Amino acid sequence: MMRTVALGTSTGLHMRAAATIARAAAVLGVPVTVRVPGRPPVPADSLLALLTLGAGRGTELVLEAFGEGAPSALDRLADLLERDLDAEGAHG
Amino acid sequence: MLVRPLLSPYAVRLAEFAPDRAAAIHRCADVLEDIGAVAPAYRTSMLDRERLMSTYLGECVAIPHGMDSRLVQRDALAVLRLPDGVDWAGSRVTMCVAIAARGDGHIEMLANLAAILLDPPRAAALRSAAAPEDVIRMLGETT
Repeated sequence: MMRTVALGTSTGLHMRAAATIARAAAVLGVPVTVRVPGRPPVPADSLLALLTLGAGRGTELVLEAFGEGAPSALDRLADLLERDLDAEGAHG
Repeated sequence: MLVRPLLSPYAVRLAEFAPDRAAAIHRCADVLEDIGAVAPAYRTSMLDRERLMSTYLGECVAIPHGMDSRLVQRDALAVLRLPDGVDWAGSRVTMCVAIAARGDGHIEMLANLAAILLDPPRAAALRSAAAPEDVIRMLGETT
């Protein structure tokens, strides 16, 4: 299944924001991929891979996961990606 | 991507030395200050950020940066190569890409850098670049 979100972090997907996402993705128990429409998907649990997306604020991101845990995994990551992690102290 | 407005040859230092991680960050701050990118207090913000979570990215590269964007006078990068290597909280670092950023202008460079680090031969080429212009060209290349 798929979910589309707009990146909420005000200064884009920088290192700490990406690390927050990667850490959360690593404990989901379900592999989740993220992509910018028109480009190949990358694993959500890899900090470096997430950084290659070059996502700025508002960039549309497509999340994808399969299987039993997919809906809750997508909920969790979509929630994090839509938040302004900078406002929560994740800047830089 | 045009990385040049962010990174000038003068801000690429290929033969630096630092005995430890804090000293390496001080050298990065020296260069960012020298090129007029940051206020002196940015140095402290960089050290604070590093304590919060290591800025080690992979393939012997770290990206020291501060968290207080009010101390950034203009968006800029500095690249410091440390041929002898520095212990970075258990990882070995031979190149720092120091970032001074107010907005998201550096995110594209970061994407390029991450793509390079995921590709070990390209990462090795970046680490062994012979001239500042080579570093600037590689960081500006979009894959």
